[in-house]
Amino acid sequence: MIGIGEYRVGSFPMMTIGLGSCIGLTLYDPQKKTGAMVHIMLPDSGGRSDRPGKYADTAIPLLLKELDQIGCSRRSLVAKMAGGACMFEYFGTNLNIGERNTEKVRAILKEQGLKLSAEDVGGKVGRTVTFLPASGGKISIRRADGVTSEL
Amino acid sequence: MKLSAVQADAIQELGNIGAAHAATTLSQMLSSSVSMSVPAIKTIDLAELGNHIGDESAAMVVFELQGEIQHGGYIIFYITRESAIRLTNTMLGMTDTDRELNEMDQSALLEVGNIMVSAFLDATAELLGFIMLPSPPALSVDMAHAAMESLIAQLGEEVDEVLLFSTELICEEHKIDSDIIMLPEISTLKRITELLEAMMSGT
Repeated sequence: MIGIGEYRVGSFPMMTIGLGSCIGLTLYDPQKKTGAMVHIMLPDSGGRSDRPGKYADTAIPLLLKELDQIGCSRRSLVAKMAGGACMFEYFGTNLNIGERNTEKVRAILKEQGLKLSAEDVGGKVGRTVTFLPASGGKISIRRADGVTSEL
Repeated sequence: MKLSAVQADAIQELGNIGAAHAATTLSQMLSSSVSMSVPAIKTIDLAELGNHIGDESAAMVVFELQGEIQHGGYIIFYITRESAIRLTNTMLGMTDTDRELNEMDQSALLEVGNIMVSAFLDATAELLGFIMLPSPPALSVDMAHAAMESLIAQLGEEVDEVLLFSTELICEEHKIDSDIIMLPEISTLKRITELLEAMMSGT
């Protein structure tokens, strides 16, 4: 299980539970059947470097570097993301963090020359995401009501 | 922030008093007895949050702590979906448990949360001489972890661990299990521990 601000790289099954305003981002290399998953909490690190997986601006370059080190080619990477919800309407006055996370991830992927091939974001709904690199990079998303979908 | 044993004891006592008042109001609303656990204080690293709060479906009525400190953190009335249905059934005289939480349930939960949290904060204000007021409530009926991480994200980018302070309130007769959880922002926590320490040293 990947906790808030954590990430994993490899071909083993990965999972992150109960995404609210956070983002679960996966990068997958179909040739090597290997990938990475990160549980991003906030858009900007503001210069902090101790928990790179926690912020969109530090997490994505880090995953790319680690994938590159194990021989994944950037051109073949498939990016998908889920999360970025707004769980509470009232506190939405305090800027919508889910939306800011989503926008930031999109912007950084673009900056890095990566295409986002699928996403399930926004709304007022929590998501638990499972990522299976060894099984063709299959991603399933479960919601609180038990409904499961594939991304 | 690391709490000393004395500070943890003091906060536990504060929680005892707050939760006892909240339990009394719940007991009145249900016309049934309500027991409470010893308050638990946990310092949790963000990466470990999922080990404490899972993705089970729950209703959470959330209040921001306001008053003398502007954004003081949150106080939450947490109740599992099944308990929430039994709670509103008991209050509204219904019996069907195999159903969704509808609009009437949701407004009942908001009201119950409001009454309990107000009682909790009134009691702590009286003890501390430090006023924390609840914001208007917000409700989430969804994965508990999703709601909690969204609140923690609002506390700021420098927050790497949180202090969760929870007391379980149980009504055996109606099989209702709920918690009052406080998630204080660091400056609120400091203020509360300072006040408690001053009280204990008698100054």
